[in-house]
Amino acid sequence: MMTQGKLQGLTKAVDVYKNRYKRLRELRAEGKKIMGYVCAYPPLEIVTALGYIPFRILGTMDEPITKADTQVPAIICPMLRSMLDLGINGKIDFLDGFIGAHTCDCTQKFSHLYQYNMQLPFYRFLDVPHVVHKPSLDFMKEGIRILQQSLEKHTGQKLAPERLQEEIKKHNEQRALVRQLYGLRKQDPPLLSGVETLQIVLSLLCLPIEEGSTMLREIIAEVKSRPQKIQKKHARLLLWGTPLTETSIVEMIESADANVVMDDICTGTRHFGLDVELTADPLDGLAKRYLDDLKCPRTYREATDSFAADQEARFGYIAKYVRDWKVNGIILESMKYCDTHGYEVPAIKAYFDRLGIPSLYLEHEYTMVALAPLKTRVEAFVEMIS
Amino acid sequence: MNFAGIDIGSTMTKIVIINESGIVSQVIGPTGAEHRRLANKVMEQALTQGGITFDDLTYVVATGYGRINVPFADKQITEITCHAKGVASIFPTAKTVIDIGGQDAKGIKIVGGKVVNFVMNDKCAAGTGRFLEVISDALGLGLQEIGPLALQSKTKIRISSTCTIFAEQEVLSKLADGAPIEDILAGLHEAIAGRVFRMAEKMKIERDVVMTGGVAKNVGMVQAMENHLGYPVLVAEEPLLTGAIGAAILGREFVEKALQRGEEIQKGARLLEAASFFK
Repeated sequence: MMTQGKLQGLTKAVDVYKNRYKRLRELRAEGKKIMGYVCAYPPLEIVTALGYIPFRILGTMDEPITKADTQVPAIICPMLRSMLDLGINGKIDFLDGFIGAHTCDCTQKFSHLYQYNMQLPFYRFLDVPHVVHKPSLDFMKEGIRILQQSLEKHTGQKLAPERLQEEIKKHNEQRALVRQLYGLRKQDPPLLSGVETLQIVLSLLCLPIEEGSTMLREIIAEVKSRPQKIQKKHARLLLWGTPLTETSIVEMIESADANVVMDDICTGTRHFGLDVELTADPLDGLAKRYLDDLKCPRTYREATDSFAADQEARFGYIAKYVRDWKVNGIILESMKYCDTHGYEVPAIKAYFDRLGIPSLYLEHEYTMVALAPLKTRVEAFVEMIS
Repeated sequence: MNFAGIDIGSTMTKIVIINESGIVSQVIGPTGAEHRRLANKVMEQALTQGGITFDDLTYVVATGYGRINVPFADKQITEITCHAKGVASIFPTAKTVIDIGGQDAKGIKIVGGKVVNFVMNDKCAAGTGRFLEVISDALGLGLQEIGPLALQSKTKIRISSTCTIFAEQEVLSKLADGAPIEDILAGLHEAIAGRVFRMAEKMKIERDVVMTGGVAKNVGMVQAMENHLGYPVLVAEEPLLTGAIGAAILGREFVEKALQRGEEIQKGARLLEAASFFK
């Protein structure tokens, strides 16, 4: 039985996607340490610099919830519920530590509940501000410093700034590779599908950084040289919204005569996005990148002179994706009970209506089944924009 | 040339065949578990009625919930696009379609015969024909009786619109209290109309408003919707057929465009047989 470590390129990505914890278990058996974390906000550079492999804790659409309902209310989003359930049921049995975060309110509550159930030897909670003023950036920097100090204490290691800079460069390298990969979808037809892209991204979240980067290089070469397998379709869609942990919804969209050529989701561009700037004090670069440059609706972008200016501040970066990837329709997907995304929908729809870019709001239940009604909406939307 | 549109809804199957002079034949039959894979039987009925054979059909478009179970269709198009086309052909001034079927409700905005926006409720029976069915059953009345009865009410009684099952309980308890049946029915119609109105209003309803779907045949429902809108609603002679009409027209437009461009018309497998899907 070949270890997942020996696989390469797209084959490896798909294998990791199908067996998310296999590689991490292999590495742990070799003596490596794994640090779980939530969302895209904990600064992974510090985690890896102090010797841990980061593992982004995600839910799964594929398993029914059994025990989490005894600890969380009905209106928590289905993904967090699943994350808690997997933990309680002992499915995530390979962690040496956990970094929680206040990204949305429910993730905050989840973080404490998770540690309560998992009792991991290292646990730290990162309090992430909701606005991007100078005081918030200072606060974020302090939070990161406290995280670093507590992990240093736990590991008995001191992390020199130069060492952290090196680590930042490695993570930036992976970010650049992801951007390169996404660049291959600018073509018409794109060189890889939305389904493949999601599989690759989800696999990166379960692999050590360098291993992930090597895999990305192999994939980029593979995709550039393989015979064209994606059909040209009129509908070139951008997917905005909540995390997707399985390809079911993207598959459904791409089977409705459309190509998903770009995304603004956090198991997508939001996780990788822009590089961390190399600042004299590396914590400045980290604070700016993780609080300000990371675009997610959980962060409140200050209103300026007018609603239009406000919308531009919040969504302008997506308009750029639309132009650069020649997108002609936007799918706003949100799992049920996500207030963070739900509240954004009217404003983002109004913004794109104003720019003349059609959009479709799809509220889903974070499932792999019962997608036919959603597919009818996507098909009607594709018919509408054709 | 003859063009067929087949609309397989969750409750009823509708077929319309058109040619240059207009509608050649139209058939409405129940879908149902047995009939689900037997769209071919309904098609044969429509062909007989029109006095033509299957090979006389230039193009067949299937729509509706069961559109994938039509082995003889050349193309599948969603019911949203088909209803818009059908309504626009009957009522050129239509800007909003409110379609209430057996198990779903839709709002569609039209500009120039094309869909520009739509909303759907296909997750919950409240606000659909199913709601009316459940309640009429509970009251021991036929579906065709409840509309006219509702119009006789002087004071409608408020019925919750959140859930069909809870509404049923409410109705029975109000009956037990001695409430007049026409007042209860008026409240019921108002509950559905209110729900559907709120859903459609997300798209900003504009006149002229056309109601389609089986529920549009209910005069009580049409009145309740007009009460919300504050102006009259248009209803086709046969509101169940607009989807199939639209599908047939879309088939014709597709073929005409292809002929204009000198393109070959891609047809489907054309198997006039039962859907093997369910074998």
